[in-house]
Amino acid sequence: MTLAVRTEGLVKRFDGTLAVAGVDLEIATGEIHGLVGPNGAGKSTTLKMLATVLVPTAGHAAIAGIDVVKEPDVVRRVIGYMPDSFGVYDDMKVWEYLDFFARCYGLPATRRRQMIGDLLELVDLADKRDEPVQALSRGMQQRLCLAHTLVHDPSVLLLDEPASGLDPRARVELRELLRELRALGKTIVISSHILPELEELCTSVTIIDHGRVLASGRVSDIEARLRAGAVLKIRILGGEVAHEAAATYFRADGLVASVEALDDGWLEVAFTGDDDASSALLTRAVGAGHRVAIFSRAASDLEELFLQVTAREAVEATAATVGASR
Amino acid sequence: MIAETAARGPLRRLSDGFVRLGIGIVAVGTKELRGRMRGRRAFAILTLYLVLLAIFSWGIYEFQRDAAAMNAFTGGFGVAPVAIAAQIGQALFTGLLLVETVLVIVLAPAFTTGAISLERERQTLDLLVTTPLSSLGLVIGKLGSALAYVFLLIFASLPMAAVVFLFGGVGPDDLIKAYVLLVCFAVGFGAIGLFISALVKRTQVATVLTYLTILALTAGTWVIWYFLYATSGVSAPGGFIPGTGAATGRPAQQMLWLNPFVADMDLVCVTSVTGYSDACLVMSAVTGKPYFGGSFGTGECPPGVPCSKPMPMPMPAVEDFGGVRLPANGAAIAGWAADGACPPNARCVAPDAQLLDVAPVDQTVTGFPRDTFWPQSAIAFLLMAVVLTLVSARLVMPSRRGSRLTRPRRTPRPAP
Repeated sequence: MTLAVRTEGLVKRFDGTLAVAGVDLEIATGEIHGLVGPNGAGKSTTLKMLATVLVPTAGHAAIAGIDVVKEPDVVRRVIGYMPDSFGVYDDMKVWEYLDFFARCYGLPATRRRQMIGDLLELVDLADKRDEPVQALSRGMQQRLCLAHTLVHDPSVLLLDEPASGLDPRARVELRELLRELRALGKTIVISSHILPELEELCTSVTIIDHGRVLASGRVSDIEARLRAGAVLKIRILGGEVAHEAAATYFRADGLVASVEALDDGWLEVAFTGDDDASSALLTRAVGAGHRVAIFSRAASDLEELFLQVTAREAVEATAATVGASR
Repeated sequence: MIAETAARGPLRRLSDGFVRLGIGIVAVGTKELRGRMRGRRAFAILTLYLVLLAIFSWGIYEFQRDAAAMNAFTGGFGVAPVAIAAQIGQALFTGLLLVETVLVIVLAPAFTTGAISLERERQTLDLLVTTPLSSLGLVIGKLGSALAYVFLLIFASLPMAAVVFLFGGVGPDDLIKAYVLLVCFAVGFGAIGLFISALVKRTQVATVLTYLTILALTAGTWVIWYFLYATSGVSAPGGFIPGTGAATGRPAQQMLWLNPFVADMDLVCVTSVTGYSDACLVMSAVTGKPYFGGSFGTGECPPGVPCSKPMPMPMPAVEDFGGVRLPANGAAIAGWAADGACPPNARCVAPDAQLLDVAPVDQTVTGFPRDTFWPQSAIAFLLMAVVLTLVSARLVMPSRRGSRLTRPRRTPRPAP
């Protein structure tokens, strides 16, 4: 089976700055794939290269097996792209907006009419058919923009921050909509820097930072891979002094990467050992006289995953720098 | 899908390209026109434009009526009295042509200078780039829809311009030439706006640059040309028979091809009632050919100029003011030869004869085709428009063309 999206060593350089530094992606057909990363991580640039808006400086990218550089026109018929900040045209009605894009794909008039009705129904804008586009709320405009990506019934949707600026209710609706689209057999690549947004939705994620892939795969897989490195939440009783002492104690442990002392006796310990090791750590700590009230492994949601992956990255980078300077 | 594309022959690809081009033009054109013609703005502009033009024409008429009567009464400067009506007609024609030229070169780029940069600013260009829309189709659609409205303005003034037929002095062919020229101006200046819009990121900058370009093409080229002309020693500016000096020193008339007002002068000169006017003076200075009806009575041919003797001069077929006999269709220009003989190609009436034939004087009567400049100018505008449109199409979609231009040269830096 051909992968819906496949990139190899994708690089984009803008005037000397490296926006994307060799991204490898493999997204199977029918997935909802999340591209996660902080602002400026290279998510949008990656999506733009996939959407044939930008030409990669180096590397290869293919959508459904079609090279985006060699056959951009063929790729464009397969993808629907929604940019992160999309504009709307003035002096245009909702149906005209979709009609225009349908014309761009050369759809015949009869099919256009039918399709516009269906799409407006799908994105729940059927009653706004004759409203001017700029009179719609942001959520509605976003849904309309999503509808425009569907006029030619593409198999791969590239959505850049589709939920940004939406209120919670609109977000839920968008999520439902994307699920519906997945049920129609479409592969969806969705980028976001807001992790909870993707968490429930995505079947797989890629975590990107500084233009590089930090982790990729199913959420559960990444979690398992990171199991060794977890964040322990520990609450120490006994006031300020005991809190300090415990922090120092944990910091001295060989498996602890870092310790952050929070208010109210809380400690956040980045721990690189597995469950056995953390159990041993707890035993040792209690044995050393620290009054541990709560000792738990932080729930590993996407946000946590992301923080861990980027934190580990930072530690490694520091280590590499130290090693190099020696 | 790749195999399918590769299997297509070159002919098939070409026809696909044309189909895509057509689809693009129709899609963008429809969208743009829907936007432009919506609401009251488009019609308000049209109305305002026609009202201004009407007021202007009326002004010319009032002014010329007095001036022409005076001119006709005194007989002008060594020239037989001319028909008042023809002079009014010619003045109206000149005024309308110049005003419409100004409107066209201001309005046509105004409608195109935001065409691409606004798409960038509204961030809708990325939406368009990811459709199979052909980039050439996009820019032609943009240009076409903007020009459609300018053409509407131009042709809406036709009934007003046709008023000149009431007065005479200007033939239907002159009016057709004028409108052909205006259309070429619109296409040319529209393309300039489009090109700068595609070149520059921001609409404001594009607008300023566009109007600076227009200023350079109109005032700029003329100032430079005139400076070269005045310093070349070819002929004293305003000389009676320019073009007799050294031909090598004359600045190239090609540099004025994109100056719309010089092309206008060429048309104005053709319609001038006496065969002598400031417009003709300008044109003879520009082209180096005597634009007048020969040598005013002496029958001499200027040295170095291919002309046949005697050189008759086109004259209005009205000989006295006492009982002005206007030609039936109001477009009478005939001529008589200096020695009284009618040249072979011309239709002449003797000064004291009844007006028999009122066909316009043939071009060969003057010895030179007089309106050779404006077609060159028109073609120059059209060619420029084609070139600028093609370049704009390349500028719009970097990824399509860029795939060949910016082929990855450097190997990616290994990740640190």
